[in-house]
Amino acid sequence: MTTQQTRPSLDDPRIAIPSTSEWYEPAPTAQTERQAEFLNLRDGEMFINMGPQHPSTHGVLRIVVKVNGEQVVDLDPVLGYLHRGVEKLCENADYHQAICYTDPLEYVASLFCEAAPVAAFEKLMDVEVPRRAQYIRVLTMELNRIASHTLFQGWMALDLGGITPILWSFIERDEIVDMLAALTGQKLLYNYYRIGGVNGDLNHEFMSRLGNWMSRAAAQIDSNTGLINENELFVRRTRGLGTLDQATALRMGVTGPNLRATGVPFDLRRDHPYLVYPELEFNVPTRDEGDSLARYMVRIDEIRESIRIIDQVLHEMPDGPVMAKLPRLIRPRPGRAFGAVEGPRGAYGVYAISDGTDQPFRMRIHDPSFVHLQLVGPLTRGNLIADTMAVMASLDPVMGGVDK
Amino acid sequence: MDRALASALQERLGATLLAPVRQRFDETEIRVSIADAIPTLRALHDEPNFAFEMLIDLCGVDTGEEMQIVYHLSSSTTGDWLRVIVPGVDRNAPRVNSLVSLWPGAEWMEREAYDMFGIIFEGNRDLRRIYMPDDYLSHPLRKDFYLADDASRSPAAGVRNMERAGTPADATRATALRKSSGA
Repeated sequence: MTTQQTRPSLDDPRIAIPSTSEWYEPAPTAQTERQAEFLNLRDGEMFINMGPQHPSTHGVLRIVVKVNGEQVVDLDPVLGYLHRGVEKLCENADYHQAICYTDPLEYVASLFCEAAPVAAFEKLMDVEVPRRAQYIRVLTMELNRIASHTLFQGWMALDLGGITPILWSFIERDEIVDMLAALTGQKLLYNYYRIGGVNGDLNHEFMSRLGNWMSRAAAQIDSNTGLINENELFVRRTRGLGTLDQATALRMGVTGPNLRATGVPFDLRRDHPYLVYPELEFNVPTRDEGDSLARYMVRIDEIRESIRIIDQVLHEMPDGPVMAKLPRLIRPRPGRAFGAVEGPRGAYGVYAISDGTDQPFRMRIHDPSFVHLQLVGPLTRGNLIADTMAVMASLDPVMGGVDK
Repeated sequence: MDRALASALQERLGATLLAPVRQRFDETEIRVSIADAIPTLRALHDEPNFAFEMLIDLCGVDTGEEMQIVYHLSSSTTGDWLRVIVPGVDRNAPRVNSLVSLWPGAEWMEREAYDMFGIIFEGNRDLRRIYMPDDYLSHPLRKDFYLADDASRSPAAGVRNMERAGTPADATRATALRKSSGA
């Protein structure tokens, strides 16, 4: 006996069609006081969902926006779409493996993500890094900072609706990324720093590419910058938008360029010196306005300072080994250490606890993007929906780091 | 290492410190009790000779026997990091006071500590999960939450332990629970 399969028809009485009230998910119930406040809609207000796959969220972020007309009343970022549990993975890996788990955190500045745990582990091991390795670290980190900032430049313009600048900023970034690939073997996730030094000395291809690039870097950056800085649309759109004052910035735990754009000259390279930074000459650029334009301008000034640092490093680089003598199996004595570096977004910190085994007992990763994303709500209240993206772009969070 | 900071801390907070001030490299470390934590941090923030205005990090630590809250502060008056450890938080019902009134930026870091360890911060208006889904039951960074790999390492803890813990009190205390002497 065979029954012929027919396509189900909507006229078929056996098929239950849900009533319209069942089409939508039930409204979420508030778990906290703040959430109850957020979920309470007043007259004329509605929720709009942005993301998780929104082109200008710099990763996978969902923002629930409460709007009145086109004005943002309140917003609630929903995190966790990129959560990989890096801290837990590091607790279950040995010290060398933990370094490469931290690489993909902020995938546009991964050398900083590995520099922080390496600094913490070196404190745990009490090991002196050879001077040449310190110079190489400074050199590669500053290159990575420029790559990250030029990418920011393009992203910011893209989020404001300009397509051209990102194509231009990718030229510089690609050159740096290729250079670092010649040195480390990877284009994005370098895994180059080791506890006690770096993995491999500078090679010929890296040096020749670097020399080529340095001869035109400053001029090239200036011409890219002119494309945006002198654009009236860009400047008028960002000036006075998302203004952050100094006191709020300090209370919110903001670090990096976002803090320096409010006039606080706080830079870990100066205030908590590490590697050979105390011997190098550079300025800490600040601005007083604290708006989106100031945050952008601080980063452009930082690119110039980074080029200056690279120039000094190339002149003063000593000869010598690039790795300290260490046992293969790393077993620090029980203790605690905090290592932090000044990244392109702020202070990356790693708090590592050792219990005497070859695995970190606890490895806390602090990422500045996570803190800065908190500001999107307070800074966009009262602005238009399109300005949410502009403010977020100027804060420059990377979701890989936010979600860990 | 800033010796002057250590003596200043010892002098100002001597009675509330649970252990003498420790220093190593560019880190200065103090330990205070749960009740003293917020007043101590407020004093460090407000008093001009300390002026620790920047909260760099707030995290929870599960030592296998107790919970800790660890704060890292930075000041323009010294080149040292200041680490404030609040030990002795009950592992089964972790509950401490929130820092949000002093540093509003601590809100999400406290949410993260709640998500990962189940630590309840009183005074935080938005204490809900931040990374894990809302209906998730356990707290992944606790030491009694095992990764699948751990099955091979500790016969007492199987793969199924992973999702089992409901409230912190329900968490089974396996024989091979890793404990730290370093925290």
